Amino acid sequence: MTRALPTPTTSHHARGSGLEQWVERHLRILMLAPAMIVLLALTIFPSAYMLIAAVTRISPNPDLPWEFAGYQNFARLLTDQQFHIGLRNTLVFTVAAVTIEFLLGLGLALLLDRYVRKLNLLKTLLMLPMMLPPVAVAITWKLIYEPQFGVLNEIMFNLGLPPQAWAGDARLAMLSVIIADVWQWTPFMFLLMLAGLASLPIEPYEAAAIDGASAWRQFRDLTLPFLKPVIAIALLLRIMDALRLFDLVFILTGGGPADRTKTLSLYIYQVAYRFADQSYAAAISLFVLFATVAFSTWFIRRMRLAD
Amino acid sequence: MLRSRTAAITQRLAAYCGIAIALLVTLFPVYWIASNSFKYDIDIFAVPPEWYPVNPTLKHYRAAFIERPFLQYALNSLIIAVSTTAVSVVLGTLAGYALARFQYPGRWRHQISFWILSTRMMPPIVTIIPLYLAFNHLNMLNTKMAVVIAYTAFNLPFATWMMKSYFRDLPVELEEAAMVDGDTRFGAFLRVALPLARPGLAATSIFCLIISWNEFLLALILTLTDRSQTLPIGIAGRVTQYHTYWGEISAAGFFACIPIMIFAFIVQKHLVRGLSFGAVKG
Repeated sequence: MTRALPTPTTSHHARGSGLEQWVERHLRILMLAPAMIVLLALTIFPSAYMLIAAVTRISPNPDLPWEFAGYQNFARLLTDQQFHIGLRNTLVFTVAAVTIEFLLGLGLALLLDRYVRKLNLLKTLLMLPMMLPPVAVAITWKLIYEPQFGVLNEIMFNLGLPPQAWAGDARLAMLSVIIADVWQWTPFMFLLMLAGLASLPIEPYEAAAIDGASAWRQFRDLTLPFLKPVIAIALLLRIMDALRLFDLVFILTGGGPADRTKTLSLYIYQVAYRFADQSYAAAISLFVLFATVAFSTWFIRRMRLAD
Repeated sequence: MLRSRTAAITQRLAAYCGIAIALLVTLFPVYWIASNSFKYDIDIFAVPPEWYPVNPTLKHYRAAFIERPFLQYALNSLIIAVSTTAVSVVLGTLAGYALARFQYPGRWRHQISFWILSTRMMPPIVTIIPLYLAFNHLNMLNTKMAVVIAYTAFNLPFATWMMKSYFRDLPVELEEAAMVDGDTRFGAFLRVALPLARPGLAATSIFCLIISWNEFLLALILTLTDRSQTLPIGIAGRVTQYHTYWGEISAAGFFACIPIMIFAFIVQKHLVRGLSFGAVKG
């Protein structure tokens, strides 16, 4: 914990006009207030609107009044197949993509930490994908997956494998989305793990080496426990992002084929803007919001990440 | 002894091979889109692929930026990113400093920090419908201002947490000394803490610029006309159901990546902290 300065009261150094003294006295409120007000306005209003919209039936005609609908919109969640597909796709994507990214990122970080001394240039090159605009990433992979002239099918051909439609094939579409996401976000895991590895203390390893502990034992009993806080933060941030996947599927597959890559975010978008059903979109959104908040709160408590 | 040395060398070679493959897989897609943006259409569609532009051309850049309004999109992106960054960093610096230095009754400091972070956890799709309706009501759809306001909601929590983390790293004694010398509390912040936090300020600003420059969903919903559409929206618009303008989107896509590559290079030292909201120091 850093030491906090005492709150300024009317002490000897508060000179100047009355206004200046007033500012000094209320400084801790005044510095915090602008950000708080902006954030309150930008979150409380949408949240309140969503709550109201979710329990009403909004007519597409803006002149008609809203009708109270109770829990009807939420009841629809139970029977709506499209919603279930979206939920399943989102979960499959999140679990698969984040797991692969974590394992690859950790592996790569361990390799670099052990075998490469001058890291800077290599790090800068390896981290590039995650900084790029998701739209640019999506069209790049669209180009690579293209069934007729795409470079991936050329590689398949050279390996003696049959060409595939990739993002256009119902069986492979989700895999294609996951590969593109893994390409973009493995660097994130890698960088955080590398930072964690760089901050490890040396002494326990020296002691372990004297005791003749194997490399695997050292990894399991020292490295992993030391890395736990970094791993927890990295996983949390990636999971929250993966749960809201939109850009990549919007451009790469449009949610298809046969809804195989339709994520919840994409479904909400379709319900709200293609079907113009704001009440139901609000109900799904609230579900997503509560699920995300519940998960992250549980995760943060569990990993003791707070503060 | 000899055998263990051979094993060590083999291991090392295997490790280098692994790193080389990672590097190749990481860089190839970026190279590929850049390379295709300089090819004639017929060469983009070539089977087997042309591994580098044999007949390089700027045709697609001309098509995108002169014949189509991609220059306007890029300008919109720039204006929106800079405005969002300015608002978020100024407000976030003040709030971040307050949360790093001042005491609040009870556990308020902790709770406010956490609440600010939690607003960032909201999936954008959740807040976008009400924002869309509000901007529609205020006649602000298709304006850059609306996009800036929406982006601020997502950048401000980030800027606050980042700056809080940088201010916490500064020794409080320097500010105390300034106050003993007769400076006000706010003066100590302005003249002592702020200059010391300059690297953090720069890193936070660059991150906000990158986030805004890359954003897609909010801009997709809030903007429909060339006057306010950003670069990602312009690119997505050239991927239609019937035809994909590969050359143009490769050119515009690669163009959108260029400032990001430069920025990424500048902030590399602060990257880990930025990515983890200040939680992990790289």
